[in-house]
Formats: sequence, C-alpha cells, structure tokens
Amino acid sequence: MATLKLENVSYTYGKGTPFEIKALDDVTLAVREGSVTGIIGHTGSGKSTMVQLFNGLERPSAGRVLLDGEDIWEKKNKKKLRDLRFRVGLVMQYPEYQLFEETIAADIAFGPKNMGLDEQEIKVRVAEAARFVGLTPDVLAKSPFDLSGGQRRRAAIAGVLAMRPEILVLDEPAAGLDPRGRDAILEGIRNYGRETGATVIIVSHSMEDMAAYCDDIVVMAHARVVLAGTRDEVFAHADTLSEVGLDVPQITHLAEMLKSAGACLPASVYTVEAAVAALTELLR
Amino acid sequence: MKNIAFGQYYPARSPLHALDARIKVLLSVLYIVAAFLCKSATSFAVLLASAILLMALSRIPPRIVLRSIRPLLFVMVFTALLNLFFTGGETLLWSWGIFHIYVESIYSAVFMLVRIMVLIFGTSLFLTYTTTPIALTDAIESLLAPLRVLRLPVHEFAMMMSIALRFIPTLSEETYKIMSAQRARGVDFSSGGLIKRARALVPILIPLIISSFRRADELAMAMECRCYRGGVGRTKMRARKLAWYDVAALLPMLAFGAGLVLLNRYGFSL
Repeated sequence: MATLKLENVSYTYGKGTPFEIKALDDVTLAVREGSVTGIIGHTGSGKSTMVQLFNGLERPSAGRVLLDGEDIWEKKNKKKLRDLRFRVGLVMQYPEYQLFEETIAADIAFGPKNMGLDEQEIKVRVAEAARFVGLTPDVLAKSPFDLSGGQRRRAAIAGVLAMRPEILVLDEPAAGLDPRGRDAILEGIRNYGRETGATVIIVSHSMEDMAAYCDDIVVMAHARVVLAGTRDEVFAHADTLSEVGLDVPQITHLAEMLKSAGACLPASVYTVEAAVAALTELLR
Repeated sequence: MKNIAFGQYYPARSPLHALDARIKVLLSVLYIVAAFLCKSATSFAVLLASAILLMALSRIPPRIVLRSIRPLLFVMVFTALLNLFFTGGETLLWSWGIFHIYVESIYSAVFMLVRIMVLIFGTSLFLTYTTTPIALTDAIESLLAPLRVLRLPVHEFAMMMSIALRFIPTLSEETYKIMSAQRARGVDFSSGGLIKRARALVPILIPLIISSFRRADELAMAMECRCYRGGVGRTKMRARKLAWYDVAALLPMLAFGAGLVLLNRYGFSL
C-alpha cells in the first residue's frame, strides 16, 4: 500500500493575469495509510484543486507531492505519471458526464483496458467494481442513456474502482443524490477500502457524511488546512469549525444540549446511530 | 487550455475601454481600411507607430497583446515567405529555380507582415480586449439594425452570437474537466501514432457532444421559462447613449486614414 503526503504545496490559477487566484497556500498534509480521510471545506476553499494534485493531473506551483516518500514530479518519476494514476484513482466531481462507451460494462472496463490487463482479469475487475457500487449484471449491459443519474454516478465510480487503486480519491461523490443513493455510494466506497486495504480520501461539504464515514478529517478554508486529525480531534474544535463557517453535525449539537440538561451521554456522539445507541443505553 | 488568448476581455480602466462599443466596431473597420491604404515605407512606419500608440492607450500589458498573434503566427510567416519568393520586381538579388528575391519583394514581405500584425492588434485592441462580449454583440445588433427593413433576423443573429461567445469558456472548461477525468483513467494524449491519438479523442468528444446538447436544451428551456420570444418589441435594460467623445473619437481615425494616403505620395513608394 502507499502513503501520500503534501509538503508546503501552493497552487495558483492564472499566474500573471488579472484573474490570478491562489487556490492552495503552503499546504502540508499527510494522509494516514489505510484510513478513510475526509476533506471538508466551503466552495473555493481549495479542496478540488488539492485532489487533482494527488494523482498528478495538476502540478503544484510550489512544494512537493510525495507518494511513498518520492516526489511525483521529480525527473525520473515523470515518465511514470500514467502508472501513478492507476495507483491513485481519482473520481472527479459529477463523474457521470464522462461515460462514453456503448454499455456500462465497457465503460467500467476502460480504465483496466488502459492498464493493459487481459480479458479475463478485466471481466473479474468489472464484476468486482459493479458489486462494490451495487450495480446488477442486467444494468451492466445497458447503455448509459438508459440509466438514472444515480446509476450513472455509480457506474462512473466503478470505472475507477476497477483499476483497484491503492489510494482512492473522490471529489464530492454524493453531490446531488438523494439520501438513500448517497448512503449506498458512500457505503460501497467504505467497503472498497475495508476489503482491499486501500486508503480512501473523500471530499465533501457535508459534516454529517464526514462524521458517519471518515476516520480522519482535514478542514480547509481560504486555501489553507485549518484543522487535521482524527474525527474526535477535529470535532473537539467546534469553535474553530464555526470560525470558518462549518459546524459539528446536528446530532452532536443535540447531544451537547442533552448533556447540559443533565443527561449522561458519552463525549463523542457524531452520528444518528451512535445517538440512538447512547440514548437506549441511557434509558435502559 | 485555461488561457485562450484570442478573444478574451481584459479588464482595465482606459480610454479605449470607456469608448462606446458601436464606435469601436466602426473604428476597427476604419483601421482595417487604413491598413490596406498603406503603400509606402513611411506610411507603414506610421501604421506600426499607431498600433503601438493604441496599445499604450488600452493600458493592457504588451505581453498580453503580443499573445494574440500566436494563433496566426504560421499564417503570417507563410504569407511573408510567399511574398518574399514570388513577388516580381526590378532589382534581382538572388534566385534559385522558381524562387526569386527582388529588393521590391523584400519590401512587400515586410509590408505584408506589418499589415497582418497591425490588423490583429487593431481588431483585438478595439474589440476583444477592451470590449465585453455582451457589449460587442449589442453593438453589432445596433449597427445591423437597418437590415431589419430587409426582414433579416438581426436580433436573433446577435443573440446566437452572444450565446456562442458566452459558451466558449464553458466548453473549454468542460473539455478540460473531461480530459482530466479520462487521463485519470489512463488515457494518453501525447504518445503513439496518429490513429492511436485520434482514438484517444473519442472518450473526450462523445461526452462533450452529449453535454453540449444537454446544455443547449437546458438553455432553451430556461429562456422559454422567462418568456423569451425573439427580438420583436424587446427593449434594453442598459441602453447606452452616444456621448460627444464617442463620436469625436472617429475624427482622429479619419484624419489618420487621410494622413496615410498623403504619406503614400511621399517617401519611398512601390
């Protein structure tokens, strides 16, 4: 498995024009191997730029991107950028618009085919990826046009899972989906991480999703990392979170209110499930 | 991909930015005519000087203005070479097979180069760099308004143009996104033979065409929801009136053209 690090990374759009924007400003970050790490922040905080640095789609204006301790932009590694993209799989925002093959199965097979795998292995990979995102075999034979938006999203995510990346990066994988679709996709992604041991990085702006699915959380604001650590560590800084316009999950607020009203609840209640468990325990 | 220089508005505060877009369209037409009136070395020198003056007036960094030549550099060099080798003259300097270089052909090549360069500078300084696309299409609509008498759909034409201009950056951004997504799945655009490279474009073009249709559909729907019914009876929210300095700006240009014609008679003439 692989470790990913950013060292003093900065990124500027449109350098030297009146439209210059600093998207990342001296960011240093280490992603824990095998973890599910959430990157959270408002629009324009630099999250989407950051994920495109992870797999070498964009080159930082300053600083280093390290995979297994090696700078991916160093001369001797430059030729290996394409292989790096198979190791660090990136699902971009609204990935359903990138589908182009005649059938869903063929589209999922596109990545593995580019890796140069043989027919048999590709078939195994497609079936495995479809299972993770919950696509049934009859859907696989359909054209992308015949699918709903949610199914197309799953297919596009499967297209990256099929490359079996050691680090899976997803930019807003659940944006615009209904609650059930969102949970199904996030659960599939978590299962992928658990079964393969891969590191999973999820970009989102929903604290609820982060609380439910992530081990570690990175909080971004104004092109910088404001907070980084385990879920408990980050949620302990409720004041810093509200300073950058974010918040702890709503259920945590409720738990805090109950606690101040005298209820005896554990210190960390971040999900509805945890709250239900704690309250049943309390009422027993 | 992120800097398509040709046709990009450059915000700044300058006399050229402040001028009425209709006047700027007329000025650029006059400027093109002036560039074709030049015949002598003196008048070409003055033409070049005028382009530099325009650049200074626009307050746009020369580096940015020079960038506008890049897409047409090949055409410029090619035209200059054609003129150099195949223009007849009197004083033969060098010849090889069908190639002949005369003193006159050197002049004509240099003149052609200056003329094309000034044309690009002039139109991009008057129109694309200092005028927003919206102001530009409004200006064209208003200048073409007399053609309505001939029942030509002037408003619809202008609307199509502004939609097309509006969607250039959107489409280029979309192309970039789809390219990134497919590169993340291992597409390689920069190696292999011609056929392999052409095939690599399929995963880009199909999603792009599909999304263009989707966008067109959504836009049509949104316009209809806001009761868009074409140009009949439509008025402008910001109708700009011509100021005295807008009209006055035409005078130096007319004087400039007349001056160039006069200069053709003096100095070195072909």
